[in-house]
Amino acid sequence: MKEILLISGKGGTGKTSLTSSFIHFADNCIACDYDVDASNLPILLQPQKLMTVDFSAGETASVDEDSCISCGLCAELCRFEAIDSEYRVIPLACEGCGFCARICPVQAITMHARPSGRWFSGVSRENHPVFFAELRPGEENSGKLVAQVKTMARKTAAENAIPLIIADGPPGIGCAVISSMVGVDLVVLVTEPSRSGFHDLQRVSQLMRLRGIKGVLIINKWDLNPEICEEIEDWARGNEMPVLGRVPFSTQIADSISQAQIPGADEQIKEMLFPLWENILKQLSIERKE
Amino acid sequence: MQIAVASGKGGTGKTLLSTCLMKVLGEFNPVLIDTDVEEPNAGLVLPQQATSTTNVNRLVPEIDFGKCTSCGICAELCKFNALVVMPDKVLVFNELCHSCGACAYLCPEAAIKEKEHHIGVIEEAIVPGFGTLLTGRLTVGEAQSPPLIKAVKKKKPEAELRIIDCPPGTTCAMIESISNSDYCLLVTEPTPFGLHDLELSLEAMGLLGIPGGLVINRWQGQEQELAALSERIGVPILARIPFSPELARAYMRGQDPLEAMPELRGIINDIMGRIKEALS
Repeated sequence: MKEILLISGKGGTGKTSLTSSFIHFADNCIACDYDVDASNLPILLQPQKLMTVDFSAGETASVDEDSCISCGLCAELCRFEAIDSEYRVIPLACEGCGFCARICPVQAITMHARPSGRWFSGVSRENHPVFFAELRPGEENSGKLVAQVKTMARKTAAENAIPLIIADGPPGIGCAVISSMVGVDLVVLVTEPSRSGFHDLQRVSQLMRLRGIKGVLIINKWDLNPEICEEIEDWARGNEMPVLGRVPFSTQIADSISQAQIPGADEQIKEMLFPLWENILKQLSIERKE
Repeated sequence: MQIAVASGKGGTGKTLLSTCLMKVLGEFNPVLIDTDVEEPNAGLVLPQQATSTTNVNRLVPEIDFGKCTSCGICAELCKFNALVVMPDKVLVFNELCHSCGACAYLCPEAAIKEKEHHIGVIEEAIVPGFGTLLTGRLTVGEAQSPPLIKAVKKKKPEAELRIIDCPPGTTCAMIESISNSDYCLLVTEPTPFGLHDLELSLEAMGLLGIPGGLVINRWQGQEQELAALSERIGVPILARIPFSPELARAYMRGQDPLEAMPELRGIINDIMGRIKEALS
């Protein structure tokens, strides 16, 4: 079983357009969305939900007002400013470390499991198993939710002998991205030819180097800025990162997204994107030989 | 006044709007704070003279093995599994540690001290004629951004106008970025993705009780669903930035968006007018 992950550093470069199209091109694969706080892949795949599971990671403190003697020790020791002036817990600020519950002299503070979000399994309209999640707004622990989605997808792949997982990744380089990369066979970086796209690409590829993960590159909307596009390709050559191809700026792709359609399902767009998919498969077979 | 510019979905135009706000409101000598510390971009589109770089650290435990008896209390109380006690040593996983300080305070042998762990830098720069830019830059490989966001937001509290260029998403990093703002601008795009993520960021904004308004970027006339959402949540649409390939091209080259689309200046002034009205 192989896992492909699409990430970009910068948001809005076209990860979900490409991921959904590649899922459409693959005959037998599992689709995953690791962008658990702004999950967009299901908007295009429109899966029928089969399972919804509550997810809880971490805890929140709460103060029993009747037992509290207002000594103030909890507020003094809390590093997260999560205890207010009336010695009540501010749930959004509480990181669930449990320090206050340990040191309260009258045991007025208890820790409770914190609902962090939900994860789902389903089947897309094209019959691909789909795994995705929703982190509750304001929550942390996105990395743990990503790990949960990944575990379920891998288990399903193993049980049903499905050879491939294709995953849409989150933006950035933080906990969710680090968690997304675990055990991935090929990272496909999707960038756009702007100063910020290039800058963010370099940071995310630095993270991949730290983790010893190889990547390949796709430059989306390349014709909006051919000069930076070439600069990015030079950089990729210097870093031994294969460039799988360029995708031109396309109002057709934009139109299919605004109608919540998978871009690659359109014949004309498929002509444009299918060669990239063939290149990804080639890269996967190279990885296999190594 | 502190105005946060957030979005939910990435790539909708947060940095475009925050840097234009800074330029149009230059007379107030604003401070622009880039809290997208994983991928800070505001500095890439502003002419600037760097003035200083400050290291940001957080505290992590350090074990004094001369005093440690491997009793295991630290590992038992750490909710983040950042400490593993073995018969002859204690392993510390800095990346899992949340710097709460419980282990150091509660170690019965006083064998745990805290030491500084470097997580990133704050870069300060003058943007000539327009104010100051503060950029938080997370060290690549660090997983947690909120401590750095907190640190960069503590700088220059006295400024008359603070503009926060927030990270995408709706997690703790976004909450930390918009917290204690007087107003939150949510930049969205008229696509199903934009709409979906906007709804989540409205929820996050609502948790903090910050008043806010919407800015539709790449507007092409279609806005029924956004208008319905705005009506339902009671958050007004403040402005529409029309879709323009010229603006996209110019911005991608790092050119001044206010030159590529001169009417942007009027749009920004309208937004400020609406914010002042809402806060008065």
